[in-house]
Amino acid sequence: MTFDYMAIWNNRDILIDGVLTTLLVSTIAIPIGICIGIAICMMRISENRLLRWSAIGYIEVIRNIPFLILIFLVFYALPFYGMRISGLATGFICLSIYGGAYFAEIFRGGIQSVATGQFDASKALGLKYSFYMRRVIFPQLYQYIIPPGTNIALTMIKESSLLSMITVAELTYAAHDVNGRTFTPIETFTTIALLYWLISTLFLKLTHILQVKFGIEDAQDGLAIR
Amino acid sequence: MTQKTAALTVASPKLNQEVLIEIRKMNKWYGQFQVLKDIDFSVYTGERVVICGPSGSGKSTLIRCINRLEVHQQGDIIFDGITLTDELKSIDKIRSEIGMCFQQFNLFPHLSVLENLILAPMSVRNLSRTKAEELGLHYLEKVKIQDQAGKYPSQLSGGQQQRVAIARALCMQPRVMLFDEPTSALDPEMISEVLDTMEELATEGMTMICVTHEMGFARKVADRVIFMDAGQIVEENDPINFFDNPQNSRTQKFLKQIFEH
Repeated sequence: MTFDYMAIWNNRDILIDGVLTTLLVSTIAIPIGICIGIAICMMRISENRLLRWSAIGYIEVIRNIPFLILIFLVFYALPFYGMRISGLATGFICLSIYGGAYFAEIFRGGIQSVATGQFDASKALGLKYSFYMRRVIFPQLYQYIIPPGTNIALTMIKESSLLSMITVAELTYAAHDVNGRTFTPIETFTTIALLYWLISTLFLKLTHILQVKFGIEDAQDGLAIR
Repeated sequence: MTQKTAALTVASPKLNQEVLIEIRKMNKWYGQFQVLKDIDFSVYTGERVVICGPSGSGKSTLIRCINRLEVHQQGDIIFDGITLTDELKSIDKIRSEIGMCFQQFNLFPHLSVLENLILAPMSVRNLSRTKAEELGLHYLEKVKIQDQAGKYPSQLSGGQQQRVAIARALCMQPRVMLFDEPTSALDPEMISEVLDTMEELATEGMTMICVTHEMGFARKVADRVIFMDAGQIVEENDPINFFDNPQNSRTQKFLKQIFEH
């Protein structure tokens, strides 16, 4: 069996569009997911029962249903309620709320990992809740949230492949398209796998830069916080 | 710790009998377990109170109730005429008037020493950065570590960290200082530098409530020693009578245990 490079090369435009769409969906959904995560996390640790239980409900539902079902629900159910949104918009929304649930739990875990003494000291000084969360607790979170947050972000990039099921022309959809034209499944899907690997690796490089910036990967003394 | 009649080197201030903190019939439970039972005591302005007792007797819980790091279920805690309630605004206000030092120092590790000191004065007292830094450097000098202002807490020794923590609390110019076993996490050779700082504070008339096992410090500095056991105040007296002539059998047993070595 020969590897048909030309089948890939001739359809490069479709694949490039696919890569760009995957990058677009991810680069929008990840930051939005992080914002949702912070909001849900603050609700989750709130003393207000309604906020807390809403957050728990959100996290439990999203974490316990398959991402594909979430996509189908939003894509096929919303039109019944008069909301007609495109596949791409569905993709942004679903991926964001999916990531948001996981980010919320990561932030909560991070906040719980900060020594309780930090909260005691902040309160004892008379600092307000919003102020010490922002200036004392959050700056100490990076070491706890960047490694697991990176995992979730990577998962989000890869889960975006499921958006092909609702005709979003991202990388996996493009692969089906190319394969349909050329009948070269091995060539096509190997290429797609490599492209996903490339995107993920680039993303990991990016978070590595972040980690160095926040002093988590500090070769000097291995200290976590600086 | 063998000398029985150490001289009082710090003169007692003239108590003007102005009550700063009053605790009335205070009870606290953790679930079914009662940690504090019918606590009743007052602290006067300028008074130095040392609280001692075996571990688990509720000493730390008691002083953590005073600035509401712990919530009591029954009775009243009144600070300078204001009863502690759940209202956040009044809690923050009261907390800004009460300085506290912890066993584990609890400095903010991502901030430099000076930044640790100026955070609360800038945020709570609305001081400008220049004013706050002036204040911070003043108190750093007072605890004799002005040359460490730019360092991070992890670069300091335990004793230095605790002195920074004291300075951080002093920057809020509190009405009273609470010390929760400030020397218990320190290596022996660093204990005295922290005790010296606290003694100096006492000399200047700071109202202090101090949970500690340092009986030498209690004897030298305290106006009153309170002994707690099983969530109750068992005995309170001036240090001379407390150490030389304890009344309650539990106090006698406790003192015997700690002075045996």
